Parts: sequence; C-alpha cells; structure tokens
Amino acid sequence: MQSLGLWPNNWTLSGVTLLFSLFLSSGMAGAVDVIASKSVSVNSLSLASARAIFGMRQVKWPDGSPIRVFVLPDDHVLHGAVCKERLNIFPYQLRQSWDRLVYSGMAQAPSQAMNEEELLIKVAATPGAIGYVRKVKANDPVKILNIE
Amino acid sequence: MIRSRFSILSKRRLLVFWWTALWSLSACAQELGEGVQVHGFISQSAVHNSDNKVGGNSDDELAWDLRELGANLSWRPNPDWLISGQALARWAGDSDEGELRLDYGFIDRTLIADGDDQIGVRLGKIKNPYGFFNTTRDVAHTRPGIIMPQSIYLDRIRNFLLSAPGAAAYGNHASDRMDCSWSLAALRFDADDADLEQLFLLEDRPGKLVSDTSWIAQVMSEIDGGRWRIGLTLGDVNMHFEPSAGMALLFPLPHPLHLDGGRNRLLPYVLSLEHNTEKYSITGEYSQIKHDSRDYGSSALANGLQRPNTIEAWYLQATYRPTPDWRVYLRRDEVFLDKDDRKGLLVSPGFPGFAKFAKDWTLGVRYDVDSWSFSAEYHKVHGTLWLSPLDTPLSSQKERWDMLLLQAAWRF
Repeated sequence: MQSLGLWPNNWTLSGVTLLFSLFLSSGMAGAVDVIASKSVSVNSLSLASARAIFGMRQVKWPDGSPIRVFVLPDDHVLHGAVCKERLNIFPYQLRQSWDRLVYSGMAQAPSQAMNEEELLIKVAATPGAIGYVRKVKANDPVKILNIE
Repeated sequence: MIRSRFSILSKRRLLVFWWTALWSLSACAQELGEGVQVHGFISQSAVHNSDNKVGGNSDDELAWDLRELGANLSWRPNPDWLISGQALARWAGDSDEGELRLDYGFIDRTLIADGDDQIGVRLGKIKNPYGFFNTTRDVAHTRPGIIMPQSIYLDRIRNFLLSAPGAAAYGNHASDRMDCSWSLAALRFDADDADLEQLFLLEDRPGKLVSDTSWIAQVMSEIDGGRWRIGLTLGDVNMHFEPSAGMALLFPLPHPLHLDGGRNRLLPYVLSLEHNTEKYSITGEYSQIKHDSRDYGSSALANGLQRPNTIEAWYLQATYRPTPDWRVYLRRDEVFLDKDDRKGLLVSPGFPGFAKFAKDWTLGVRYDVDSWSFSAEYHKVHGTLWLSPLDTPLSSQKERWDMLLLQAAWRF
C-alpha cells in the first residue's frame, strides 16, 4: 500500500517523468514498433483496427484465430509512445475504455508485461499475440505490423 | 429502520474488514487460465455534511458508511463467445446495506466480426448503457468524481437503473476517423425498490411497483480516437403498481390516500458530449425524463401523483490533469423534478419546494498511484432532490448544505 505522505516526492517525480516522456516522445517519434507473433497472418493493420485491437473490442484475426494483446504498465514511457504515436489516442483514454469494458463484463483486459523484455518474450511465445517494443532487432522472433 | 451492521463497527474492525478483503482479492488477481480473468474493486469513503445525510449518518459528523466491493469473472472460450458475471456489495446508509448481489451475468455471442464491423447479442442480466458512466458507476476508478453527477445518475434510482435481466443486440463500426457503437436492449428492471417508491409514490405505500417490458437504446461515437465523444441514450421504461390487501383495509375508498393499481411510464433521453485533450477534458450531459403516471384512481393522492412531469437534468465538468497521476475537476450539476416548476412552488403540504430540485457546485482532486486512487471532493448544494428520504426524511431536510467527501479506492 502506498502512503499519501509521500506525495510531494511523487509529485516531483511525476513531473520529471512527464517532462522526460514528452521529450522522449517528441524526440523519438516513430521509435516504437507494433509487433506480433510470427503465427499472425497479417502484416499491416488500419488505424481503426489497431485501435479496436488495443482497445480490446476486436478479439480475432481475419483468419478467425484469437488475438492476445500484451501491454506495458500505463506509466511506462513506451506505452505512452505507442498510444500517442501509433494509435493516436491518449493513454488515459485507453485505460478508461478498458475499465468501462472490463467492469461491465463486455470485454476482457489485455495481459500486462512488466517490461519490454518480458513483453517481447511473451509475444514471441504466444500464438496470435500482439504488442509493442522500442525497436525490433534483426533476429527477434516476432514480426512488425505496419499501421496504415 | 435497521441500521447497517457495518455502520456500527468500530474503525478498527472496519480496518480488519478491508485488510481481509484486500488480501483475499489480491490473491486471486490473476489470469486464472486460458481465456479466464478475474477483476475486482473496492472503495471506502468518509463523508462530512453540514446538514442532511448522504450514505448514512453524516449530518455534522464524519460518516464511514459509503463503501463498495465487487469482483468479476469472465471466460472467453473462443473469440465469438464471452461469459461474464460480477458480484457486488454496496453500503450507502439505509438505501444500501451491503447485501451481496449479482451485478451482471450474461452470455455474449459475436455474430459478425468482419474487420471494422461487429454485431453481437447479449442474454442475461446486463448493465444498462445510460449516458457515459452508468455501466461502471460502482467502480470508483471509472467515475468522474467520488459520487456520480447526481443530476443524470441519481443514486435514488441507482438500483433500479443499474442492470436488468433481458436481451440486447449491439454493434460497432470503426473507421480511421470515427468509431460508432450502438446497443438496443429489451429489459425488465427491478422496480420493487423502496427508493423508487419514495420517488414515484412519495412514500412506502401498501403494495409494490412491478416492472413491465422496457427498452433502452444507445448510440455512441468516438471521433479522432476519442478526442470527441458524442452519445445519445433513449429509454422507454414501464412499470405498474400492485396494491396489496393492506390498501383496501387501511385506505378504503373514498379515502384520500387510496390508490388503484396504476401505471408509470418514463421516457428518458440523455445527450452526452465530451472533449478530451492530453491535459483537459470537458464532459457534459443533458437529460429530460418525461414521466407519465395514470390509472391510480381519483383520490386526492392519486390526482397529485398523476400530474405529468418532466425531469430535467444536466451537468458540465471540466477536468485538468497537470500530470498523468493528478486531476483536478470542477462541476456544475443541476436537476429539477419538474422542468415547469424549477423553483418548487407547486407542492403538496409537507413536501418542501426545495426537495424538487438540487443545484450543486463540486470541486475535486484525485491522485492515482498504481492500482490505487485517492480523492477529495467538496460540494456546495442548494436543494435536496438527490437525498434519499430513507436517510433524511423530508421533514428534517435543510435547503442549503455543504458536503466533504474523501475516498480511497483500489482495483485489480
């Protein structure tokens, strides 16, 4: 349980994180790749489909196989970057729409990985998985999905 | 009235209660297996009122009677089927005393999922899409403040409006610019509710309200990834009153309090509009509910009840997020029981005029950290329409009152 007594420190920390993430997102535009398991049959997604998939409203690939969505924690720099740069949505809005669906029983929540390495491993190992990383390396066992 | 068992618990026992709840809930905060998920939420509020009571005994003292506890289970055996259910316990003074109930429980079948279009059906006990927030109004993290804007989301009719058994069809069309979703449900609301009877029949009468088939429809559009959200909700809610044997015994004709088996019909619409930027959100909703009441007979009470009225309600909230963790919000919220009598001049004896409206300024602050959320909210209210007479009887209501709320909430 977190203590409210620490708020001045957290305030400063949040401010610094925000400035840093703003700096990162403006300075590193395009530095986040949407990735998928190699079992996924598509190579690109429309912006509408990408939003529907990360928004947990679209749950199957065109071939009918289930989609498994992996995300990083809400306050992770990369999560902010994928929301703003790839999905054109604010992270708080994505959280709100997950919560609305999950607590009314209308959809399930995405699976959360604690860091980028764990996310990459899970996407590679899970059939139908989708996620995102900073930059895919040549020998990573995943494919990049273009968002058009 | 019997008070909630928990309202008399000492603070230490309250702490033990929450510690146990947290402990047992966090133990199951996991994905249980392929396609099975468990989620939950809890919240505890403290209320201080200058006058009147909200959620228990809060008149001029700190009350701890507002709390919520819920857990849900969902199973997606394959992409076309989803089975989900949620159990909920809520404490709010004498209107809600913590009984565990099924909040929703339904089967969802996707019929068409063709790229950007989706159509499906839901069968079971379904949350009612009403305005932006009704479906998750008991989950503190999803609310626009500690308590819902009472104009549109009147807690007095919460239990009635929240969820109901029925069938719904829904659909969604997505394009790069706009995402448009709709739903249409045929339901039977739970009309046998003391608060509802207070609102429509002015007090607990011998007999009960019984729901008839009702409809609720919603269209919601999100433009530019949710920078703009626009919604319209329409309803046709029907119920009838079944007098018990006590009616003929206590109030035989031509007694002025005699009621025949009458019918009530509500025709609500809600317009919802929201604009979101990274740091600011402006949220507003406007609603009118046409209320028609008939066949109650010709006693003095029946004639009073059968006067048609239109409830008018709106709120506008500005939210500022200086950092992703913090938000500050200011809200103006107004509701009138009869839009043609906003000042409450047309009232029967014993019914204060200020109980026909409520106008509220709210200033709030919220801090989120991990799965926790801590909020504080100050209300300056004129009028008592939101107050449940079960907590504050009409005779002891005060016209102008202030309220301070503090809340801690956790979810997984």
